[in-house]
Amino acid sequence: MDDVFPPHRRVAIVMKAPGRPFRFVAAAVIATVAVLGLVAARGTGYTYGPAPQQAALAMPDVPTDPGAARKQQTKLLAQYKQYTSALDKLAPSGTYVVVDQTQNRLYIMNDDKIVRTAVCSAGSGMILKASGSSKKWVFDTPRGVFKVRNKIPNPIWKKPDWAFAEEGKTIPKNPADRFESGTLGKYALYLEDGYMIHGTLYTRLLGRSVTHGCIRLGPDDLQAVWDAVPVGSSVFIF
Amino acid sequence: MRTEFLPAVALAAAAALAAPTSPAPAPNPADVSRLALQNALLQKQLELAKGKEFYLLLDAKAQTLTLMFRAALLQRYRVAALEVGVPRVVYRARTDASRWEGRIWEKGNLDPARELDRVEMQAPPPTREGTEIEVKVPQTPEEKYPVPPRYHIRFSGGLSIEVRPPNTDTKRGFWARIAAGLATWLADAKAASGSEPADTLRLHVVMSKTDAESLYRALPPDTKLLALP
Repeated sequence: MDDVFPPHRRVAIVMKAPGRPFRFVAAAVIATVAVLGLVAARGTGYTYGPAPQQAALAMPDVPTDPGAARKQQTKLLAQYKQYTSALDKLAPSGTYVVVDQTQNRLYIMNDDKIVRTAVCSAGSGMILKASGSSKKWVFDTPRGVFKVRNKIPNPIWKKPDWAFAEEGKTIPKNPADRFESGTLGKYALYLEDGYMIHGTLYTRLLGRSVTHGCIRLGPDDLQAVWDAVPVGSSVFIF
Repeated sequence: MRTEFLPAVALAAAAALAAPTSPAPAPNPADVSRLALQNALLQKQLELAKGKEFYLLLDAKAQTLTLMFRAALLQRYRVAALEVGVPRVVYRARTDASRWEGRIWEKGNLDPARELDRVEMQAPPPTREGTEIEVKVPQTPEEKYPVPPRYHIRFSGGLSIEVRPPNTDTKRGFWARIAAGLATWLADAKAASGSEPADTLRLHVVMSKTDAESLYRALPPDTKLLALP
């Protein structure tokens, strides 16, 4: 290229440095944009304030006529009694049991007060697939409310199919081969759908979700539940 | 039962009992209004108690958040502080902070969700003697479900409960706190400035670390909420 264009024909492109006023204006614009951005950003998000002390609910109108107001009041009182009585009927009275199946805690409650807290074990959530078939079992502890249907001392466990499948054993045809004693501990409280609150041989696993859906307790806590919870009591599992 | 309503109920009852014998003065309109309001709340509680879902009762005055089912108390969490938050863009509130009390909010779920990690196991082929399967000792709930320092219970309809233990950042270093603050602000700014804000209303609930963790690990899915005024 140097051979084609002699030195005097070369074109030099020289950028002229911006003057002082231009630099000042640019800096001012950038600073303004930054400040505006910060202000806008600071005012964007969630504003928190104290919860209102007064109910923000619309207060119902009361008739100005004394007779009508009294009538409305009588009606409201009757309603109030009806609602409170209905709520009282629904709420469990006396002793009931609450099981926190995620954190493996069992609470013996009496009229909304915790009487005893026990470390338990609830369902593992594991899925067991049967060998050679599409059958599978999910070991969850169900959520909801259950009644204590029966209380049995020294319970004998009638092993279900999954217990044999899990151990790699052939499922027996003779029902008598399903019975096993000692596994469920000293007591069992039968709930609905085959679920129980019972003891365990594996006390070191209490506090962990290891069961096939039942609630396992250590011997002392099982004794406390046995003593405090009568048949017909409600067991709330969440 | 809410005790602050008892005087109103007692006064109203006394006035109503006196009514047949003598021409009693007109009942105090404020008492009648309060009674009507109390009835409306009781009706909502009854509706929840008859349902099949778990529900939370947030009592701002008693400073409690109670997990209930069929009118039975399951767990009670102490609320140290309660604030109401609304989304705003450039200082302009986008929603109205009122009308969240006395209303049933549905389908409350955790965010981030508490994932249930299900293990699938194949049963060994059956034999007469059986096969010993090695099963790992499962983690404790604390190991299994780590609780984020800040989490939400989001209800359909736009309400969210933001749960935070008090002074969560004190143990962290300066830069960690700055980073966490920035991340929180960015998340909030993004949530507030979307075409539809992620939460139209936030109830910022401060509770002890133990309670906050316990609530996160225990909350059943699709829980309902009733906030009592």
